[in-house]
Amino acid sequence: MARRRKPLVQKGRDDDVRIIAGFALGSILTVLMLLIVIIAPPATIGPSEGELAPDFSADSYNGVNWENFQLSDTFDYEWEDGDEGEWILVQFIDTDCPYCWSEGETMSELYSQWSENVEFITVTVELSINNHDSDRAEVQAFRDKTSYGTEENDGDGCNSGRNNCANRPGTTHNWNYIEGSSGIMKDWEVTGTPFLAILKPDGYVAWNQYENQGEDIESAMQRLIGDSQ
Amino acid sequence: MNETLTDPVLIIFILGLAFSSYLMFANNEKKTSMLLISSLSFAMVGITSSAYTYIIHNKMVVQGSTAFCSSEGIVQCGSVIGDPQWNNLFGIPWGIFGILSFSLLIFLSLCLYLDRHAKWSENYLDYAWWAGIAGLPFVALLVIIELTQVENAPHICPFCTIAHISIIGYVASIYFLRNRRNTGKWSENEG
Repeated sequence: MARRRKPLVQKGRDDDVRIIAGFALGSILTVLMLLIVIIAPPATIGPSEGELAPDFSADSYNGVNWENFQLSDTFDYEWEDGDEGEWILVQFIDTDCPYCWSEGETMSELYSQWSENVEFITVTVELSINNHDSDRAEVQAFRDKTSYGTEENDGDGCNSGRNNCANRPGTTHNWNYIEGSSGIMKDWEVTGTPFLAILKPDGYVAWNQYENQGEDIESAMQRLIGDSQ
Repeated sequence: MNETLTDPVLIIFILGLAFSSYLMFANNEKKTSMLLISSLSFAMVGITSSAYTYIIHNKMVVQGSTAFCSSEGIVQCGSVIGDPQWNNLFGIPWGIFGILSFSLLIFLSLCLYLDRHAKWSENYLDYAWWAGIAGLPFVALLVIIELTQVENAPHICPFCTIAHISIIGYVASIYFLRNRRNTGKWSENEG
């Protein structure tokens, strides 16, 4: 009886080439990673002291209109320790937060002393708390000290709706107010307001409020930037 | 002429794409092998250009600008890779996503190239197809971001575009491979 022949089907190799492919891919990735680390190692970005401040791009109110603002545009990448340069004070506030309300005066005082060698930036955010809803009109009124809301505790206005924004402590804040977001808060690891950080002119964090509980902002600016005007 | 377009690195990438395309369309008796090499070549250009965009990203974060790519004009990287709002996905730079995605594609194509008659080869060809297809919406998203969302849009980042074309080329070469498999031409001597 004639034996039936099996149809000719090409068989694969005996060894599992997937292991070889895995090693080859590993080699390619190793070479690429080495090149990246040698040519341009990734920077440590974060809000902690010594880290490069997280960049953000958002709309900003400058007292006249809302324009795009990018934090890194204020950095002087050529700056080195000991050089003169413009430092950056970043403040996070919620216009309805009582502590931010009273810190308005501190910020005005700091601005009157350091405005020549410090760029002031306020990032406005909305905490997830009742009566902490705010809009651009409220942010503008908080910055400019213009009328918005009432002096009744009716939820209308600044400071959890307890005050008319025109009565905020301190003077008009003549610097950029940025429209913050939960993404910016997350990048900056801001868990509550107000929060302050001082950046060196090249954008590296020099002082973080959370890491310096025993030192107030004025002492920190005095220590890091030097005498006020 | 825009400085970026005469960048030697960009020219090397363009030549890489041209070579991959040539392999894809070249007609000879080893067509299946040529298509497999073409897919590998597209994926290699893709992973290298992704790594390059990651290098540009790192330079821009630390130095604000980079000699690796211009920051002026429509064809430039500065406004695309330097845009903190759009240069990452959940905080991870797009370059890293590119490296990881093309790694998978390289692995699948390399496995197929080394042993296209293995038991798993049919499945791996399908995986390569679906993995490539999965990348296309991201390409569309990134092109929309370049053209409409970044500051002073529209901009075109040439090195990003190389990565985008690489994935499209990869999908095309896998498409032709699947066609060959489905029409019984998977083995070289079957035309």
